Amino acid sequence: MGSGGAPPLIEADHITKRFGGALAVDDVSLTVATGEIHAVVGENGAGKSTLMRVLAGILDPDEGEVRVDGQVLARGTRNAIDAGIALVHQELSLVPEMTVAENILLGAFPTKFGFTEYKELKQVAADALEEIGVSVDLDERVTRLSVALRQFVEIARAVARKPRVLILDEPTATLTPAETDYLLAMLERLAAGGMAIAYISHRIPEVFRICNNVTILRDGKQVLTAPIADVTPEQVVDQMVGRELKRDLASHRDAHPGEVVLRAEGITAPGVNGVDLEVRAGEIVGLGGLVGAGRSELVRAIIGADNRTAGQVTLIRNGKPAVISSYQSAVRNGVAYVPEERRTDGLALTMTVTDNIRLPNRKQLSKAGFMLGAKIKEFAQQLADKVGLRPPEIQREAGQYSGGNQQKIVVAKWLGRRPDFIVLDEPTRGVDVGAKAEIHRLVKDMADQGTAVLVVSSDLPELLELSDVIHVMRDGRITGTLPYGEANEKSVMSLASGEAEVSA
Amino acid sequence: MADTTIVNEDKVQVAVLEERTSARVLNWVSQNGIFIFTAVLILFGVFFVDGFASLVNITNVFDRIAPIGIVAVGMTFVVISGNYLDLSVVAQVATAGVILIGVSNAYGLPVAFIAALAAAFLFAIVNGTAVGVFKANAVIVTLSTTFIGLGLLRFFSGGSIFFGPPDGPIRAFGLGKIGPVPYSAIVLIIMTILLSILLNRTNFGFLVKSFGVNEQATRLGGSNTALVIIGAFLVTAIAAMIGGFVLAAFSNTAVSNDGVGYEFEALAAIIVGGTSVFGGRGSIYRTFLGVIFVSVLTNILVLFGISFGYQQVALGVLIVLAVSVDALGRRASKK
Repeated sequence: MGSGGAPPLIEADHITKRFGGALAVDDVSLTVATGEIHAVVGENGAGKSTLMRVLAGILDPDEGEVRVDGQVLARGTRNAIDAGIALVHQELSLVPEMTVAENILLGAFPTKFGFTEYKELKQVAADALEEIGVSVDLDERVTRLSVALRQFVEIARAVARKPRVLILDEPTATLTPAETDYLLAMLERLAAGGMAIAYISHRIPEVFRICNNVTILRDGKQVLTAPIADVTPEQVVDQMVGRELKRDLASHRDAHPGEVVLRAEGITAPGVNGVDLEVRAGEIVGLGGLVGAGRSELVRAIIGADNRTAGQVTLIRNGKPAVISSYQSAVRNGVAYVPEERRTDGLALTMTVTDNIRLPNRKQLSKAGFMLGAKIKEFAQQLADKVGLRPPEIQREAGQYSGGNQQKIVVAKWLGRRPDFIVLDEPTRGVDVGAKAEIHRLVKDMADQGTAVLVVSSDLPELLELSDVIHVMRDGRITGTLPYGEANEKSVMSLASGEAEVSA
Repeated sequence: MADTTIVNEDKVQVAVLEERTSARVLNWVSQNGIFIFTAVLILFGVFFVDGFASLVNITNVFDRIAPIGIVAVGMTFVVISGNYLDLSVVAQVATAGVILIGVSNAYGLPVAFIAALAAAFLFAIVNGTAVGVFKANAVIVTLSTTFIGLGLLRFFSGGSIFFGPPDGPIRAFGLGKIGPVPYSAIVLIIMTILLSILLNRTNFGFLVKSFGVNEQATRLGGSNTALVIIGAFLVTAIAAMIGGFVLAAFSNTAVSNDGVGYEFEALAAIIVGGTSVFGGRGSIYRTFLGVIFVSVLTNILVLFGISFGYQQVALGVLIVLAVSVDALGRRASKK
């Protein structure tokens, strides 16, 4: 598989893509030749998926162009498909109620006089599955398949279009090690058959196993493109992280953890495999890991927002333990939850700030079920001022505020309950710098006042700044625990990506 | 906190998104239009329709308004919770009538009240559990419970017409008036006030609205959403039972197909009153006005001698117009 000799099949030439004002991809160029597997790596939000979607014609670049066989690719998905480019999405895009065969040919059903030619359809689907070496019943509905099989059907769907360029966006995120092995071997086979493959991954060991070249993105910029033989796993992680490894020690607070407030034992749920966790009063525990590692699933299972299949959660208030069986009982016992999706789970956007704050605090703001109007207003105003809502007009609808201010409203509504234990999932995603600093201040203040805090964050500097101890998750398990002194971007990333396993 | 203030003053200006003009106009029409529409319609009736302003006609309108109005103010709760409507009010109104006349003939009035309350709970628990716990579609569920309810009612009543005694409390209530205002209209006014307090001044009413806006956020706010939905169906069912009582008391008879068409007229009143079928936004007072609007409109059509068929057409067109304004306003807000 010569990566040096063959002429490039697909070329990205100085691609720049902006979303609003933000630069998602900043002047990136790469080429993939026939028979080459090219890894594109980087942290969450580095611009990998955006770049791949530009290659596949789903997004138009603001600057630069994509060339196939030296010809400039015209804009639009249709042209990209016609040029032989196929993208396997990160999120599965199958129709669960349709059969395997129908899904493989979705949007390209063979027809005669407008009627579907089922015989031909099944033949093409069978060929595609055979090409990737997977056997599935063509008539099985996708809803009955395992996540791994769905991923393979997704790949078969791309392969059925006989592409020359195959782009895969984190195809192994949901696979077990054995399934991953199978998929990697398949990709090597497809490349050997003459396909050009661009492969996005977080997982460093995979990259070193099958790829010829690697491109590292950081904050939308291309920091390195090199033959895989010229770099070490450690160098790749260094380049992905890139930032100053020494932390600003001043920004970390002096923690004085007290008694254990939350004890979770053997938590098992979809995506979570038997996790034990403790959080102490006045302590901020961070959960690090890659997207899909099971962090949100873990916290939701702990507080009962989603069902768990096994495990026990105990909340200890004033020395008295209470077993948490449901989300409602968790909230009653002093748990607060700032969810990952603030617009769908955190706020009622068309209700006022006051009403949003009132929701979890309604019992203390009422008498015999009747609301105390003046008290609610005063209560909401105090909290809005405390979190620094701007403008502090609590009769406005929550949806009228910017992302950062919306997140402050979510924090405010839970602050009102003076929680013993608070979970914050991606507390500052999509939030401006100013609001981010204010939210960090609020989280630290809560811990200083004795609240036990559990933070999930994909933003490494944030995780490092806030956490007194960091548990790193991978494949639904905690793979390592780093106390404040040992945690840095490199040690976290190395546990999160599995790089530690290659080096060992 | 002051030392962490990083956002400067000129940024504050952009921190709040103002609604688009088109969204504001449509939402204003959907929420306040009913006041104007009703006023215009009544003025039109007074000045251009013979016999509209007569005492006999006004009494007629009042008699008609009460049962539908009572059902409509109750059903507003289900609509605000985001579950479209409760079709089974048809069966509930009929059940209430048969219970009021039939059961009180045999066992007395107190037993009839208790039986009606039990029936209301039964409807609410079945509808509310299927919708609130099993997340079934409210339209399909309540369509089915309408069939179950009416089927059982026909079975137990034998399909016969029940006649109340020519004198007694039911008859007295049915014919009673204060001036031109029948007792039934006073019941409607009291129900409107009580349910408005329930919706706007209690935690339960707040949760119904909050659920209508965002089910997930309401659940994650630590509330028992299944109970909220069962509660919304219970308010509707109790109101429908009272509406059925009023209807049966007025004619002093009851039969198992009383109440046919009430679901539709109640829905028309609620939607014309500007309560959103998408849930989360609505008002009991405006439903009250919506009932007046729908009843006055029907009355004017009757006075013009327009046939029942065309009255139905008018009602259908009215609903389509009102839900379209609602949907357009919502879409404009989203953009």
